Amino acid sequence: MSAVPGLKEDCEELLGAFQQADTVRFEHFAELWRERRFHTVFYGRMRALERNKLTKKTLEVAQQYFFPPYAFQIRVGALYLLYGLYNAQLCEPKQKIRIALKDWPEIQKFQQDLLDSQHYDAAYIFRRLRLARAFHFTAMPKLLTYRTKKKIEESYFKEEFKDPSNRVNSLITNDVLEELMNIHDHYQKMKCVISADKSQPDKALSLIKDDFVVNLKDITLEHQEWQQNRMKLFRNAKETDETENKKKEGTLLESEGSERANALARIKYRSYSAVVEASKSRRHRQVQLESSESGSHCGKSPTRSKKTRSQPARRGEMQVAKETAARHIGMPIIVEENSDE
Amino acid sequence: SIDMLMSSEKEEDPDVIPEDNNLLTLRIRKKVLERREETIIVDRACRQETLTYEMESHATGKRPDNPTDLIEEGELLLTVNIFYPVIFQKHKDHKPYQTVLVLGSQKLTELKDSISCVSDLQIGGEFSSQPDQAPEHISKDLYKSAFFYFEGIFYNDKRYPECRDLSRTIIEWSESHDRGYENLQSVKMEDYVFNDLSLKIGFPYLFCHQGNCEHIIIITDIRLIHHNDCLDRNLYPLLIKKHWLCTRKCFVCKMYTARWVTNRDSLAPQDPCFFCDVCFRMLHYDAEGNKLGEFLAYPYVDPGIFN
Repeated sequence: MSAVPGLKEDCEELLGAFQQADTVRFEHFAELWRERRFHTVFYGRMRALERNKLTKKTLEVAQQYFFPPYAFQIRVGALYLLYGLYNAQLCEPKQKIRIALKDWPEIQKFQQDLLDSQHYDAAYIFRRLRLARAFHFTAMPKLLTYRTKKKIEESYFKEEFKDPSNRVNSLITNDVLEELMNIHDHYQKMKCVISADKSQPDKALSLIKDDFVVNLKDITLEHQEWQQNRMKLFRNAKETDETENKKKEGTLLESEGSERANALARIKYRSYSAVVEASKSRRHRQVQLESSESGSHCGKSPTRSKKTRSQPARRGEMQVAKETAARHIGMPIIVEENSDE
Repeated sequence: SIDMLMSSEKEEDPDVIPEDNNLLTLRIRKKVLERREETIIVDRACRQETLTYEMESHATGKRPDNPTDLIEEGELLLTVNIFYPVIFQKHKDHKPYQTVLVLGSQKLTELKDSISCVSDLQIGGEFSSQPDQAPEHISKDLYKSAFFYFEGIFYNDKRYPECRDLSRTIIEWSESHDRGYENLQSVKMEDYVFNDLSLKIGFPYLFCHQGNCEHIIIITDIRLIHHNDCLDRNLYPLLIKKHWLCTRKCFVCKMYTARWVTNRDSLAPQDPCFFCDVCFRMLHYDAEGNKLGEFLAYPYVDPGIFN
């Protein structure tokens, strides 16, 4: 099927605006929709057969943003977009949204996420779609056709919508940290039990750092923060004129004036992945992370000592990243080699 | 309410693309429409388009009169593409096919009965000397054997006593030497429903009848039955798309579809030559019915007969 010209750009523009608005509320989406008068996307004089085909293709384009690896906010935006397109279509009987069997558990998980984070308007929209029987449950996502394609278009994921591939976070999750804390406590108690003084463990038995779990959590939080900051910085730099060389970026960065900003700029130039976006739900989870670890010392403000310790770790990470093949999408041209080490 | 947020506030004509649009889609579409308006004199649906649309949508939403014929929830709907065996030069790039919707609980024999192929209607034999005695038996009645081939198993039609196992030849051939095809089995078609099969979507399978008329079968889609679909079991397998083949017309009158084809005809300008019934008799037989000239005549069934 040949694509509908211009549709992908329009959808991405709308979803991009939604992402910028940094919210998942339906009212905002509806405003953006009304601004663009998106319901007119089906207009234009055409007969019923062509209209059916066009609507099918439109729904197919919109539907692909609904699944991973897109960020949470984009997926909610895609849900709203599907709802809007399904209701605004002019075909009678309405064309349906195809969902493959393998994607269904992900959608259910997504719905559970929505309910857990109390985004009740999104959950309601989804329920409305289900009630309106808007889905076709199919075996395979794409309906096959028989034209010989001139070139195979590979599915292109818009980089900005992708969730940050946050391997650190997926490894050190909430549960893992809780487990570690439990084991740590248990271990300390065991040490107390077998040592002479019942209230605290023997000096000879202290083989590990006592607060290592807390440190681990702090490092993880820092990493996340760093990622967000890097993304924000990149976004700021991208918004300025891209044809200017990095002199302007230099002044932009210097105006921040701190050593930390310089370090971030260095990391930006060496970074290997494209723009990432911290999703709204991540922020929710961050809050939970802090509160689950009891104690007021789990603040986000790292102390100096911790920072210098984690800095080499971060640097080491970046070295590895530099060695892997870099793919810069939309990055400004770096004129001179950055030799700060 | 939420719906009101989506729809337009004032009365709008969906046919007219509004002037102040900021959607790229609409801008492109508007240009295309304008160009079409300039170049096409009459913008009306042609026959083929009407046929395609009608076939796609004629059965949507139908409900049966008899409630026992209602299809239940959870029934699977398969979209089966059956390709024509005709090989015309113009079909090089995309072969024509017909699309049939089949229920999961239907037997393979039901699909087989619904496949309409022109080779079923052929009448064998040369009838120049006795044109009135062209027999009524068509090949479909004479040669009833057929088989499907899905995933290494041949499903043979064994409903009638004269059906033979056409797949036996193939199985014997593959077993005679070690050709790398393991485990080809042969079973009866009427014992199986589509729910029993394991199929690959998009993978070509085979339907063979009349001994050597082969059709490629591709399953393009499997999905659950939906409220808006046709829920009358009697209408399935449902034909929703058919390729329109142009029929060959009689060489003389150019109006009627050809019913006879002649070879080595001294009265005809080309070999082979097609005639409709009336022109054929008028040219080749005199008033008493005697044969004039030398020729061989065969009854002809045009592939476009199913239009």
